[in-house]
Amino acid sequence: MDINTLIEVALIIVKVIFVSLILFTLPIPLTWIERKVAGHIQVRLGPFRVGPHGILQPVADMIKLMFKEDIAPEKADKWLFRFAPLFAMIPAFAVYAAIPFGDKITIPIINKEVTLYISDMNVGILYILAVGGISVYGIILGGWASNSKYALLGGIRSSAQMISYEIALTFSCIGVVMTSNSLSLLDIVKFQSGTILGFIPNWNIIYQPIGFVIFFIAALAEINRIPFDLPEDEGSLAAGYHVEYSAMKFSFFMLTEYVAMVTASVLAVILFFGGWDAPLFMPEIPIFWFVAKVGFFIYLFMWIRFTLPRYRYDQLMSIGWKILLPLSLLNILITGLFLL
Amino acid sequence: MSIFKKIFFIDFIKGLSLTLGYEVSKSVTMRYPDEEKWAPYQRFRGLHTLNRDAQGRELCVACELCAKACPTKCITVVPMEDDKGIGISDRIAKVYEINLVRCMFCGLCEDACPTTAIRMGRDYELACFSLDCAAADKKRLLAPREIPQEFEGGYVVMARLERNKEGINIKPDLTRKKRWW
Amino acid sequence: MEQIFFYIFAIATVASAIAVISLRNPVHSAISLMVCFLQVAALFILLRSPFLAAVQVFIYVGAVVVLFLFAVMVLDLGKERFGEYLHHQRPIALVVVIGFVFVMGFTILHGSLDAQLGNYTEKALVKNTEIMGKLLFTKYVFPFEVVSLLLLIALIGAIVLAMKEKR
Ligand code: SF4
Ligand code: SF4
Repeated sequence: MDINTLIEVALIIVKVIFVSLILFTLPIPLTWIERKVAGHIQVRLGPFRVGPHGILQPVADMIKLMFKEDIAPEKADKWLFRFAPLFAMIPAFAVYAAIPFGDKITIPIINKEVTLYISDMNVGILYILAVGGISVYGIILGGWASNSKYALLGGIRSSAQMISYEIALTFSCIGVVMTSNSLSLLDIVKFQSGTILGFIPNWNIIYQPIGFVIFFIAALAEINRIPFDLPEDEGSLAAGYHVEYSAMKFSFFMLTEYVAMVTASVLAVILFFGGWDAPLFMPEIPIFWFVAKVGFFIYLFMWIRFTLPRYRYDQLMSIGWKILLPLSLLNILITGLFLL
Repeated sequence: MSIFKKIFFIDFIKGLSLTLGYEVSKSVTMRYPDEEKWAPYQRFRGLHTLNRDAQGRELCVACELCAKACPTKCITVVPMEDDKGIGISDRIAKVYEINLVRCMFCGLCEDACPTTAIRMGRDYELACFSLDCAAADKKRLLAPREIPQEFEGGYVVMARLERNKEGINIKPDLTRKKRWW
Repeated sequence: MEQIFFYIFAIATVASAIAVISLRNPVHSAISLMVCFLQVAALFILLRSPFLAAVQVFIYVGAVVVLFLFAVMVLDLGKERFGEYLHHQRPIALVVVIGFVFVMGFTILHGSLDAQLGNYTEKALVKNTEIMGKLLFTKYVFPFEVVSLLLLIALIGAIVLAMKEKR
């Protein structure tokens, strides 16, 4: 093994640690933002007492969660109950192995080119959809292992919802794959650079508007956000699958949920909004545009959460199977016709 | 038309724009107790006050009408002779105590009083850590209040949260006021 | 290096496969099945076939086992009910297994399981998704269609069964 491979390996390890650290800390600002958005939409202020404008509130919440008693119900399946949060969390993090955050940058002092992704898989998008799908086990098993009615119902709902919407989600991605002619996320982003007619950005949203709408709705369902958050429906299931969880295990579920939301935003940006491609003659700044676009989508998810009511379960199923699935098939057909 | 609405998510966009409007609009939250406090209207029925006349004499003549009128029988009045001119007549209250735990702030005592000595005040922060303060004695009732009688009220005023040995005190600044709606 | 990984994954596959049939609780069995599928996916990656691995995880782990779990949870299969499905099949099963092991051992020892080396170089295999797609729709289109037909029949069968239950 020569020195260059060693550096490459070290670089990958550093990148992995860096990305996971960011993902671990990301929910801290995100919970604060979400509560602020909720507050202002409801004409309140949101958290305000801990720190200026309540900015330290999530930190306080985290400390509180750490010191809470970790309760496991007596009749619970102890092992599964303990591991379910990990089942949820690990896939949610593993997804980021294939997500590109930018092309490459040169670090100024040591003059080394660094790629802004952990690995460029040639089946990247399939990998993300597949691994992201495993996350649902945490919810299902957590719900089942708790041995409680509400948690079990949450788990069952989650499994059915997941299967119904994963199909639509994948089919909507297929349209993008067909236009970009690659499964690798890097190639998909590269395909979207440049402009049409000189000013419209050459993003997939132009070619795939139906695909994007389907993707967005299915993603909302996949990450359990309102209006499709039936697995944890407060109104009818108390807290759904994590009703029996407390302390750190609960916070793992929360972490997973936020990471999943970020993943959905990142995927939407990469697949349909040109990744790190700068819009409308704006200067290219590494990562900045990517983060800005992802931030917009995260905000959109929060915004929708505090605007829409929750669907009923039968409505959820009929939207998934009777509208989204045929539409996504139609979208593939139309894309195919255009490509011919 | 409805098909058009469905395809372009018109209702959905309408809803989103409505919530966006609320998001950028001013929030109605009163930042009590850190920065703001509600100064109630004059008609508010809070902690009672015992009043004095213009010369500073106690108005209460210890006639016990308030104690009789009180539906919860929470006022204790013990009269005493006095010729030093503390009160407006030669009869003043030796003990005047209102049991705030029993009081329901109905205001009947103030209606019954012939000399307008007892009035419902505007203090509403009556929670405390021990039972001592559950009964308001004469001294406490006679003491001047943070919001004077003349103050019009119906405003949110700026306030400061003070922590001291007795507990928490929220000091209003009556000069900086705003309507809350 | 690769061989070490292969043995790790292979042992995990076999162990979890045994766990599937020996665990008493159906939910635990389903989880072992999921682990087994994941290991198979890992083996696919060792075989330079990331596409198959991703699809394996996607279809089997992401959908099939979830459906299993769904069915198990909804039907609430108790431990007791499992016994009655066996119907004294043990002696027959034993005979079949011995025969299977015999045949397997024979073929492996005689080396007749050797496959031809593929005619694709490692470099060409980077595009293995494309190659596989092309092969599926040209050379193997007939088996592909047969399989799709089979799936369609299964689909219709399921719907018919569900309809009957309603009536
Ligand atoms: S407010 Fe009502 S209850 Fe309270 S002391 Fe006066 S009369 Fe009694
Ligand atoms: S407060 Fe009024 S009613 Fe009560 S004893 Fe004094 S004078 Fe009489």
